[in-house]
Amino acid sequence: MHSHVRLQAIFVYLDDLLRALRSLKDRQLTIHAVHSPVPNHEIAALMADRASPVRYITLAGGILGIVTGFSLSVYTAMQWRFLVSGKPPVPRVPYVIESFEFCILFAVLFNVIGLLLLTRLPRFGLPASYDPRVTEDRYSVLVSCTPAQREEISRLLRENGAEEVNVVS
Amino acid sequence: MKTYREINDRILATLTQPNRGYWGWLALCVTGVLTGAGCWAYQIATGLGMEGINHPVMWGTYLVNFVFWVGIAHSGTLISAILYLFKAPWRTPLARSAEAMTVFAVSVAGLFPLIHMGRVWVVYWILPYPNQRNLWPNFQSPLLFDVIAISTYLSVSLLFWYTGLVPDLAIIRDRATGLRRKIYGFFALGWTGSHKEWNHYGWAYLLFAALATPLVVSVHSVVSWDFALGVAPGWHSTIFAPYFVAGAIHSGLAMVLTLLIPLRRIFRYEDIISMPILENVAKTIVFTGLIVGYSYLTEAFIAWYGGSAAERGIYHWRAFGHYAPFFWLMVVCNTIVPLAFYWKRVRTTIPALFGISILINIGMWYERFVIIISSPGHEFDPYSWSIYQGPTWVEYGILIGSFSLFFLLFLLFAGFLPTVSMTELKEDLAPPRRGLGAGPASAARPGGNHA
Repeated sequence: MHSHVRLQAIFVYLDDLLRALRSLKDRQLTIHAVHSPVPNHEIAALMADRASPVRYITLAGGILGIVTGFSLSVYTAMQWRFLVSGKPPVPRVPYVIESFEFCILFAVLFNVIGLLLLTRLPRFGLPASYDPRVTEDRYSVLVSCTPAQREEISRLLRENGAEEVNVVS
Repeated sequence: MKTYREINDRILATLTQPNRGYWGWLALCVTGVLTGAGCWAYQIATGLGMEGINHPVMWGTYLVNFVFWVGIAHSGTLISAILYLFKAPWRTPLARSAEAMTVFAVSVAGLFPLIHMGRVWVVYWILPYPNQRNLWPNFQSPLLFDVIAISTYLSVSLLFWYTGLVPDLAIIRDRATGLRRKIYGFFALGWTGSHKEWNHYGWAYLLFAALATPLVVSVHSVVSWDFALGVAPGWHSTIFAPYFVAGAIHSGLAMVLTLLIPLRRIFRYEDIISMPILENVAKTIVFTGLIVGYSYLTEAFIAWYGGSAAERGIYHWRAFGHYAPFFWLMVVCNTIVPLAFYWKRVRTTIPALFGISILINIGMWYERFVIIISSPGHEFDPYSWSIYQGPTWVEYGILIGSFSLFFLLFLLFAGFLPTVSMTELKEDLAPPRRGLGAGPASAARPGGNHA
C-alpha cells in the first residue's frame, strides 16, 4: 500500500485556487504542480518560483558564441595569411560582426535547450494526472497527503472552492 | 470575448474545414509557385544568361528580391519582440501573424542568393568550412556576414515563433481527436501548463525577445553593408545601415497591413484585430516613412555637399536618367503617400489602409531596384557605364513564384495554426475570480458532487 495518495483538485476561480494553496501550504503538504491556462504571478509567488536559471544558460551560450565567432574568424585568417597593402592579416573590426551574430545564435540555442531541460520537455505522453481542461479555463492543483489525511484534505479543497477533487495515480 | 473558453472557441473555429475561397487562393498560389519553379529550372538548364545581368550590372532583380524579402521579414520580429519588451497592449493580435510573416519572408529571401548563384548544387561553397587547400571563406567579406546574419535570423525567428506557439498547440491537442491530436500533440512537446513550465517559459520568452531585438537591427544593417562596403558611388555611404533598417521596417509594416486586412475579414477578427490596432500600425508607418524620406534627402544632400563628381553623377542619373520613373515612383510611394495616414479618416478606412500598404510595398521594391541596379552601371569610368538588360520573363516568373510561395506559406499557416495567440489573449483578460463575473458559464458550484 502506498504511504501517500495524490489528490487533484480542479478550480474555476483563481482566488479559490490561491486560498486553497495557502491552506495546503499551512499544512505543509507537498504540492507537486499547479496547472493554469495562463501564467500567473500570484500562483508563482505562492509556489515560491524563483527566477529561472535559463538566464545563466543563455548567458553562457552568448559568451560561447562571442568566443566561437571571433576565434573562428581569427583561425580562418591565420590559415591563409593574405596580406594586402601591409595591413594586418587579422582585422578585429569586421570580426565583431561575426562575434555578434554567433553570440545571438548561440544564446538563443542555449536558451531553447535550457528551457527544454528545465521543463523536461519534450514529453511524449502526458502525465496520468494531467487534466486537459487546464488549457481551456480551469486551474488544477496536485497535492500529496497520507491516506489518513485524504478525507480531510479533500474536504478542505472543496471548502475552498474546488469544483472536483479526484485521487490520481 | 470575456472568458478563456470564448477565446479558445473563437480562435479554434478558424481551424475548422476551410471554405472554397481558401482552396481557390491556395490553388492560385500553388500555380504561381510552380511557375517560379519552372522558370528557375529553365534557368538552371539554360544558364544564368536567362537573367538580364551583364557586365557591369551583375546584380539584378534576384538581389532586389532578396533585399525586399529580408526587409519584409523585419517587422515581424520587431513587432513581436520590441512591443513585447515595452508591453505594448496592441501587440497581441498582430504578433503571431507578424512572426509567421518573418519566417516565411526570410525563407523566401534565402532562395534568391541560390537562384542568383546559378550553380545551386554547389551552394555549400558559401558555408564556413575549408576547401581542400584549407582556404576558408573570407570572414572579412560582407557577403559572409550576410550568410551568417540571415541564417541566424531565420533560426532565431523560427524558434521565437515556435516557442510562442507551444502553449497554443497544447490547447489544440487537448481539443483534437485522432490523427490531429497526435500531430498537434507531437509539436506541443507534452506541454501541461504547470507553474514550473510557465516560470521557465516566461523567462526564456523574455530573453528571446531581448536577443531578437538587436538582431533585427543588425540583420538589415549587414544586408546594407553588402552595398555600402563596395566602393561604388551611390552605395558607399555610412547612412546605409539606418536607411536600410528604417526601409525594412517601413515595408514590413506595410506587409503586415496587406496580410492582416484580408485575414481579419476572412476570419471575422474585426473585434480582435480592431481598428485602433490598424491605426497604430498606420501611425508607425508615418514615422518610418518620415525616416525613409529623411534618408532620401540626406542622400541628395551628401551627393551635392560631398563634392564627389561620381556621387553627384549617380544621384542625378537616378533622378533624371534611365531609371527616373522608378526613382520618382519610390519617392512618391514611400514618403508622400504614407503621409495620408496623418488624417484619421484615411487611417481608419480599410480600403485606404489596404491600398496604401500595397503602394508602399511596390515603392519599397522599386527602392531596392533603383539602389541595386543603378550604381554598378554608373561608376567612376564613363566607358563602362551601362543599363540593366532585365527583367527578363524568367525573372518575372521567379518574382511571381516568390510572392506566390510567401502567400502560400501564409495561407497554410492560417489554415492549420492559430493566427492569434490564444494564450496571450487570455493573459490580457482579468483572471476569473469569484464574484467578478469573469468565470465560465459552465462553472459548477464549489464543493460539488465529484470526489
